[in-house]
Amino acid sequence: MRNPCSIAARLAFAAALVIVPVSMGAQQPSRAAIPPTQSGSDPQFKVRLDFNRWHDVAELKADFEKLEKAWPKLLKLSSLGKSHDGRDLILMTVNNPETGAETAKPAMYIEANVHGNEIQGGEVALYTLWYLMENYGRIDQITKLVNERVFYVVPTVNPDGRDYFLKGTGAGSRTGHVPVDDDNDGVADEDGDDDLNGNGVIEQIRKYVPGEGTLRKNAQDPRILEPVPPGQTGDYILLGSEGADNDNDGRVNEDPVGAYDGNRNWASNWQPNYIQGGAMDYPFQLPEAKAVNDFLMSRPNIAGVQSYHNNGGMILRGPGAEWQGEYPGADVMVYDELGRQGERMLPYYRYLVIWSGLYTVHGGFIDWTNDGLGMLSFSNELWNGNQYFNSPELQQQQRDPNSPITNRVAQYYFDDHLEFGDQFIDWKAFDHPQFGKVEMGGWKKLQGRVPPRFMNEELCHRNMAFSLYQADEMPLMKSGATSVEAVGGGVYRVRVDFVNEKVTPTILAKAAANNVVRPDLLLVEGKGIEVLSAGWVANKFRPGATELIDQPDPKRILIRTGHAGRSTRTIEYLVRGGGDMTVTYDSLKGGKAVAKVSVKPAGTGG
Amino acid sequence: MTTQAFLRAACVAAVGAAFIAGGSYSPLAAADYTRYQTYDEMTAALRDLAKTHAKLAKLVEVAKSREGRSVWALEIANPDGRPVRERPALLIAANFEGDQVIGSALALYVADQLLTGYASSPTIKERLDGHVFYVIPRANPDGAEAMFGAVKSARKTNAAKFDSDNDGRLDEDGPEDLNKDGVISMMRVKDPKGPYMIHPDDPRLMRRADAAKGEAGGYSIFWEGTDNDSDGFINEDPAGGVDLNRNFQHQYPYYTPDAGPHMASEPEVRGILDYVLARRNIAAILTFGESDNLVSPPTRTGAHAPASVVDLIAFANQSVEGARTVGRFQQSQQFSFGRGRGFGGGDDAGRGAAPAGRGGGRGATPPATTVAPADAEYFRTISDKYRQLTGIRATPATRIPGGAFFEYGYYQFGVPSFSTPGWGIAQGAQGAQDATGAQAATGGRGAQGGGVPGGRGLGGPGGAAPGGDAAESGTAAFDLRLTRWMDAAKVDGFINWQPYKHPTLGDVEIGGFRPYALSNPDASKIADLGKSHTEFTTYLASLLPKVAIADTSVKSLGGGLYRIKAEVENSGFLPTSMAQGVRARAVAPTMVQLGVDPAAIVSGSPKTNFFPSLAGTGRRQTYEWIVKGTPGATVTLKAVAQKAGSATATLTLK
Repeated sequence: MRNPCSIAARLAFAAALVIVPVSMGAQQPSRAAIPPTQSGSDPQFKVRLDFNRWHDVAELKADFEKLEKAWPKLLKLSSLGKSHDGRDLILMTVNNPETGAETAKPAMYIEANVHGNEIQGGEVALYTLWYLMENYGRIDQITKLVNERVFYVVPTVNPDGRDYFLKGTGAGSRTGHVPVDDDNDGVADEDGDDDLNGNGVIEQIRKYVPGEGTLRKNAQDPRILEPVPPGQTGDYILLGSEGADNDNDGRVNEDPVGAYDGNRNWASNWQPNYIQGGAMDYPFQLPEAKAVNDFLMSRPNIAGVQSYHNNGGMILRGPGAEWQGEYPGADVMVYDELGRQGERMLPYYRYLVIWSGLYTVHGGFIDWTNDGLGMLSFSNELWNGNQYFNSPELQQQQRDPNSPITNRVAQYYFDDHLEFGDQFIDWKAFDHPQFGKVEMGGWKKLQGRVPPRFMNEELCHRNMAFSLYQADEMPLMKSGATSVEAVGGGVYRVRVDFVNEKVTPTILAKAAANNVVRPDLLLVEGKGIEVLSAGWVANKFRPGATELIDQPDPKRILIRTGHAGRSTRTIEYLVRGGGDMTVTYDSLKGGKAVAKVSVKPAGTGG
Repeated sequence: MTTQAFLRAACVAAVGAAFIAGGSYSPLAAADYTRYQTYDEMTAALRDLAKTHAKLAKLVEVAKSREGRSVWALEIANPDGRPVRERPALLIAANFEGDQVIGSALALYVADQLLTGYASSPTIKERLDGHVFYVIPRANPDGAEAMFGAVKSARKTNAAKFDSDNDGRLDEDGPEDLNKDGVISMMRVKDPKGPYMIHPDDPRLMRRADAAKGEAGGYSIFWEGTDNDSDGFINEDPAGGVDLNRNFQHQYPYYTPDAGPHMASEPEVRGILDYVLARRNIAAILTFGESDNLVSPPTRTGAHAPASVVDLIAFANQSVEGARTVGRFQQSQQFSFGRGRGFGGGDDAGRGAAPAGRGGGRGATPPATTVAPADAEYFRTISDKYRQLTGIRATPATRIPGGAFFEYGYYQFGVPSFSTPGWGIAQGAQGAQDATGAQAATGGRGAQGGGVPGGRGLGGPGGAAPGGDAAESGTAAFDLRLTRWMDAAKVDGFINWQPYKHPTLGDVEIGGFRPYALSNPDASKIADLGKSHTEFTTYLASLLPKVAIADTSVKSLGGGLYRIKAEVENSGFLPTSMAQGVRARAVAPTMVQLGVDPAAIVSGSPKTNFFPSLAGTGRRQTYEWIVKGTPGATVTLKAVAQKAGSATATLTLK
């Protein structure tokens, strides 16, 4: 197979041939001497994908297939299972088999779109794969990351909801498609929204009721319907979203498709429906949640999780409910370090705890992955409304009530001038089968929750960068200095340093408390080696006590609390005998580190 | 299977082979109620019942166990008349705990009696004509099979693989029958540091020495076996993983070994949940198991009766406490870098302040954990009748019900839901109230931190009580009542301590409560208990709610307008929904719908109405409509209840 890098290099070099003489004149160095990587020109991308549009499930799958075909060694496309309606839960595994088996390396799990209408995370997932591959072998940090880590990328864990949102009218698409009888009439999903006027959009219904309403037209922009001040009456009321009484029971839109929350069906602090709406009847009842959980439980090497949602510009961590209690201090420090770094990488995003910063969530996904699976987990709420007018000057203007971009009218201004009116449908009269003469209009489904298409690529890149940063800060165990010293009587003192340079510990304190991650193991091998004792060295640069480890088998020590982030620990063994001795630090989430020392009793030579 | 049983089974198989639907080969055989039955025998009996009563009984598979056995449900009803799924149903389920095999026998016996009694008993006929019974006799077939193995250990768990002590090795340290007596019992060992002493009132029993009274212990207690993995603990990680009555969603004991990795993690549990959720007509649940709310009902304020813990079992379980904490180190790494202060320095409060937020969701409502006072009255009425019909006044050992199916049934599924061991010990032997009063059922079930892998899969009922509870008691008061009952009733339930030379512990004694003796009566009792429980079952089914359209009237107002009045009645005893069913939004409100176009209703009630609950014994709900119609036209009125059946009436406009 031809080397794709060399093709790119040649193309870049060809570009340099044209540019260089113009800019450098007579002082030009010889053309062949310009290293192609410094040409300033972009590499020729191997796979061209769009990041200024929204991909439905089939389009995502097609692009994933293109990527797999282009990088078959590093990418493996598969499916976690099927959604309720039979769509694949697409999984792309990024792994370089030359640097180790998939499950032997720390892995980052990235998913998106559990709420069907929160689509842009799927685009971030696609962008992430594309970016990693195009830059593998070109940007050193990316190459290193791909070689050291494994990525599991699921662009949509609710493909039914995604397609329902993108291909349909956009109504009721947060949920998945397991039928639920919302109106208790014994029939499920029989009365949802309807596109009565056939324009492809579910609009709002308002009725003109002069002097009897609660709403009025805004004086500055008549498209805006606003509440009247207390003590006054308006001319309009809202009657909900576009739809009719499909089941002839006298009620409108009372039983739409699904109507639950796929992000409340997880097994940490799960609560029944009356405490947590949308939870369903038991954790992992939903086929999508079960498929994802089965996968996660089969991959204990996953150390990091990101679940993309929208919107609000948040970098969220658990706990989801106050009564779960704050995470252990050690874990909070790790989350804080990563979260605050994220705030710098993602302008307008804030690092928050779910229950205090957003709202209470019982049985949420990242509560489960943190508490029940011991995976450090974030959930980013993609897109923040401040990004529409994203300069200090414009935001100053927005606070001026007389400005054309003051907060109440800003969306309309943006739509008029930046999207050329694409997003708003003006109110039009309609004769409704149940409500009589009404008007229908309002925002299209894409407005507000997702960025304008032209701003999506930046969203993709910045969120990807944060997740790659998180992935890079997953634990990575290495061995450090070793020493062997005779202490007399045929006994030797063997010391080995083990290092985790990354921010994240091999086992989160919460996971250790819950006993949900297999303990790290410190293993000794060596035919001629008898281990008399093992202990932690408090400080190898000072004389002092060694904390002896009181476990029956010093050749297989359990370390339930793992290895902290950014730290080095020295293990000391007293051994008798001689020969090669291998000391392995074996962690599930930080990989294995192996140190080999040679214990050489006096008189054996060498 | 005995040779005799095999021959009998083989004979019947030749006749019944044509009726065997799918699955593994299983012959037909009438149930034998003089002994406890293996999975194959029970399956054969179920198939036999389904074949003999082909019209009234249907055998369906609810789940496949971890080892591939079927969890069966026998569905019993006369299918003529109203569709079965629209009738109020009673679910009977048993043997969630692997060692509670009596429940399995009783469920099967009741099913058998209902089917055979249909022809002769008008009461049973009435129940099967108007109701449906779903009977799941063995929820945990893998666990129950341990009763029939060569070496018997009273295992509760299913066959899931679970690393109980989380040491990276799976099921590596189970018990051994060291003295070859065919059962796994206990070892007591003289140990100067041991906290237990021989009970002064019964030298077979042990109690915790009370240092305040100047007592010294001198004994340690273990389950019978060796430390196979040389980790310092004996039998801390036996085969068998999850206690199914710890795996349901109400008050789930998070991160304790017997409870599994998460709620509803087990195929048996998922299958049963899916089965139940697909049958919302289930209006009451009766389970046989190691918790009780029938002999001792909830108090008037809705608190559970306390559990009765067997201390000897709790003590043996405590011997493996700590297996899940070996290897917890202070993170005293010699240096950390990139930070001014300690990084990962243990579980201190961190920086204290969570990142600033906008206030978020404080004050979420916690789920209910006590029976609603209105419902408690029904529980107490039914409990009175249970004691009267069965004569059971005192239960054997019972345990705290966190994660139990019957608790799910009430708190989340929203119906009256009961648990009983299904048998009793002599009155006066009941220890629940006075002996172990410290173990209030509502407290201390958590064991949230660390958990106790204690004797998982071993021991009798009460054995899986969280360590904290047992530590509070330790007086062996209930154990003493058990031995006194056994002595008086001549129950061979205690293996006297016999000396044994243990490979690592040296001189020990092996003995203790006989496996299964605490969770099952002698098999000779099955038939009598089965009869009284059949009576109770038919009584319970007779209480189920039943909606009817009690009274209607149509009055012409002239001009094509008619005033329609209807009264919907609950003629059953129980309400159409328990208070908890309403609170938990678990029971759909009853729908009352007038079959006209919504536009034809000029005034009055809407076309579709709902009421959350209607008390029983003839309480009524009234609706009135004024509709526009043509004289002589008919209008259908229907009332549809989830747990109380449905009713229709046809009204003529005149």
